Amino acid sequence: MNAQQIMDYIKRHCQADDWTITINEKDSHETRFAQNAITQHIAGNNIEVALQVAFDDKTGVGNINQTDEESLQRLIGTAEKMAKLNQPDPEFMPSCPTAVLPAVDNCSETTLALSPQEMVEIVRRSISSGEKLDAQVSGMTEKHWFHVTQCTANGFFGEYDKTEFGHSITMKKDAVETKVAYSSKDYSRFDLNHWLDKLDSQFSSLSAPQVFEPGRIAVILRPAAAQEFFGYMAWMMSRRYADEGFTPYTDKLGTDLFGSNFSMKSTLKDDELCAPPFYHGGIPSGEIDWVKNGKLLALATDRFWAKKTDSQPSSMYNIFIPGEGTSEEDMMKIAGRGIIINHLWYIRSVDMKSGEFTGMTRDGVLYFEDGAIRRAVNNMRWNEIPHQATRRILASGIPALISPDVKVPAMLVNDFNFVDKTIF
Amino acid sequence: MKYLDIAIETALAQGAGYADIRIQRDTSQVIYLLNRSIKHSIYDVEHGYGIRVFKDGAWGFAHSNRFDDKAVMDTTRRACEIASLSSQVKKGAGLTLAPERSYIATYRTPVVTDPLDVSLREKVDLMLEVNRTMLNYDGIRQAVFYLIIHKSEKLFASTLGTRLDLTTQFIDPMITATAVYEGDSQSRTFDEGGRATGWEWIQSLDLTDKAKQIAEEALIKVKAETLGEERRRALILDPNHLGLTMHESVGHPTELDRVLGWEADFAGISFATPEKLGNYQYGSPIVNFMGDNTLAEGLATNAFDDDGVPAQKWYIIKDGILNEYGSTRDTAPQIGLTHSRGCNRATSYYNMPINRIPNLYLLPGTKPLTPAELIADTDDGVYIQGRGSFSIDQHRLNFQFGGDFFWEIKDGKLVRPLKKVLYKSCNPEFWNACDAVCDERFFRPFGVINCGKGQPGQTGKMTHGAAPARFRNIRVGGSQ
Repeated sequence: MNAQQIMDYIKRHCQADDWTITINEKDSHETRFAQNAITQHIAGNNIEVALQVAFDDKTGVGNINQTDEESLQRLIGTAEKMAKLNQPDPEFMPSCPTAVLPAVDNCSETTLALSPQEMVEIVRRSISSGEKLDAQVSGMTEKHWFHVTQCTANGFFGEYDKTEFGHSITMKKDAVETKVAYSSKDYSRFDLNHWLDKLDSQFSSLSAPQVFEPGRIAVILRPAAAQEFFGYMAWMMSRRYADEGFTPYTDKLGTDLFGSNFSMKSTLKDDELCAPPFYHGGIPSGEIDWVKNGKLLALATDRFWAKKTDSQPSSMYNIFIPGEGTSEEDMMKIAGRGIIINHLWYIRSVDMKSGEFTGMTRDGVLYFEDGAIRRAVNNMRWNEIPHQATRRILASGIPALISPDVKVPAMLVNDFNFVDKTIF
Repeated sequence: MKYLDIAIETALAQGAGYADIRIQRDTSQVIYLLNRSIKHSIYDVEHGYGIRVFKDGAWGFAHSNRFDDKAVMDTTRRACEIASLSSQVKKGAGLTLAPERSYIATYRTPVVTDPLDVSLREKVDLMLEVNRTMLNYDGIRQAVFYLIIHKSEKLFASTLGTRLDLTTQFIDPMITATAVYEGDSQSRTFDEGGRATGWEWIQSLDLTDKAKQIAEEALIKVKAETLGEERRRALILDPNHLGLTMHESVGHPTELDRVLGWEADFAGISFATPEKLGNYQYGSPIVNFMGDNTLAEGLATNAFDDDGVPAQKWYIIKDGILNEYGSTRDTAPQIGLTHSRGCNRATSYYNMPINRIPNLYLLPGTKPLTPAELIADTDDGVYIQGRGSFSIDQHRLNFQFGGDFFWEIKDGKLVRPLKKVLYKSCNPEFWNACDAVCDERFFRPFGVINCGKGQPGQTGKMTHGAAPARFRNIRVGGSQ
């Protein structure tokens, strides 16, 4: 059965007072390489049918990946039985009603048309580039197609397609190790030569790393590192967790908690960024300013908490952080001396209430002084509170697409807190 | 099942050097109770098959959820085509596979009561009682109960002639109380990381009593002081905490695929390179780590891995020296090993199996030693219980760990509770600083059910274990 037939079947047979049907379809091809050879190579498609039902305020959810009548009947029976056996949910919310959804464009025909042979060719050229330098090359080339369909007993219906193309390359030789990665809905915007040149440039800049002692110093977080740094902060920006006293955002809505040159939003208006037309089971996506010029304006809110607090439900469905367009060269002049970071790694919360995180640098660390890069240095551990760090932003670059859902600029952050170093 | 034969025959007809098919049905029930609200009550069934073809020194893998003869043949042919594409980009003659013989076997995780057969009402009633118990304490602002039940049924066949019928299952209750007090918020969690056993384990735990304990400890923790400036002192780590420490600093560095650089682009590589085998002082002489996929109630315990290799038990670190890795049929020959240690595991039918950490545990001390005696023998240190923040570099050298509950030790006594404690160390400093491990009476297993690795990402599961152990002269301090 296709998605429409599945929904029609469930609608006909489901006896529950309320229901939501969600169908996720996926088709993927993934080519993984390491040590200058393909090590894994995977293809296949899948479908997941989720049925959430309610009898009064008692709920149950079933998921399956088979779509024959017998399986769908079992799905309905399982979800309904679970709901009947369940206890009432004091936070129950009825399914969403009909809504007018915004138009979105998350799909690329070029990505869909990319063949497995072309993907292997991308891998071959990436490996050849490393072999010229006698380096080991690893990475992954991937393409995906997703289709999401959702409908409810109260009249909501929504669906959208999404494509993703990704190519990452890590190059390693002796003590030098660095990485570039492209990830977008659109393969047609991918220029392998550009990324190989960038990889070569990073690789050559990192030769003979020298020991650098940790401490507070200015850093230039290149876009991927900035995304990793602020992405974890964004994950903690929940209205409920703030209201209940668990995070640094308690009682901070409407205040200048962040630095005045920091803003963050979710948007439908950037043609590179993917955005779902709806979230939370049927809330239409719209423009959401989370932080504007340092002021905290919104926190992600589910439908129940929105009703309880008389606010709007919201979801950080993508992340856009605007930048001022300062070049890396100008950032080095502004700071005088500091560290340039390509990526961050293994970021984990240290203390939820203060919003403190820890992590490592990765894939290349450079020391600059007097406006120029001086040498490569060892990786370091940092402990930082990202929302406080936004108060130390001295400059930012042009926003760059890091993944189909995230676009951020490089950031120059003063007094970044390095607390330890590693030996490579 | 006829589909096993169809896949194997089709692969051989297509010229496969080796092929296997894994038909896998995963059934899981996840119940998430936030305070008194059931946020998720999900019953999930995922059924399909993955076909792996090894041809001309390279792999191809295709998966499908469609069960008919044509779909199985098409999927097998697709795996063969992908293997041919892979073989266009190989090093030399490509990969080789460690020799293995054929097996016909059946395995079932021993359970008395299958948790999936226990009624939802009984589970939810227990969970509500636990959360109510925590919320009855003044100052407890949030109670969370996460219950995960999982069963994986696999039929495996390979061109070697192997036919396996394997069913494994586990259950994992996780309970967290969060306290708010004077502008701070701190949590305390009961989580043993899951066990491969039945509902009888849940009944033996007295979770309501556990709820009282963690609620009370969350309140102690939120009112506790911080440790202040970092300096070197002794650490005593409980088995639950050590489970995570050994996972990150011993388990991952000794996965042979990481050692070979196969995870360099994402999860990272390993400092524990092959020339160190048999001579590298990974830990002090009392440090002995076993890889053991035969461990009773272990999450990685199965009769065979997804290469069709039998479960084994072996020293990974012996008397402090790096002894061997966890390996698979395609990684073992890369360093001249003649057989795999049976560590190839996939999460779902649509995942290609990858080199995984086995059940891995620190052997208990051989001399009688209780935790109380260990604390009494410590002048200046911190005792850490449970898991908290954890972060380690991509070579698995430098790390920083937190914990879930902390006590300061002075002159052999627990003198005050603490919060926000962090310690920093690295390999090989940390395991060489181990100067005491309590004896086998205090050995406890703790599972990990969410070990993230691979591209596309997979979540592995395995069990770790230890008795409380002491580490001298470690950098310990408070967070910012």
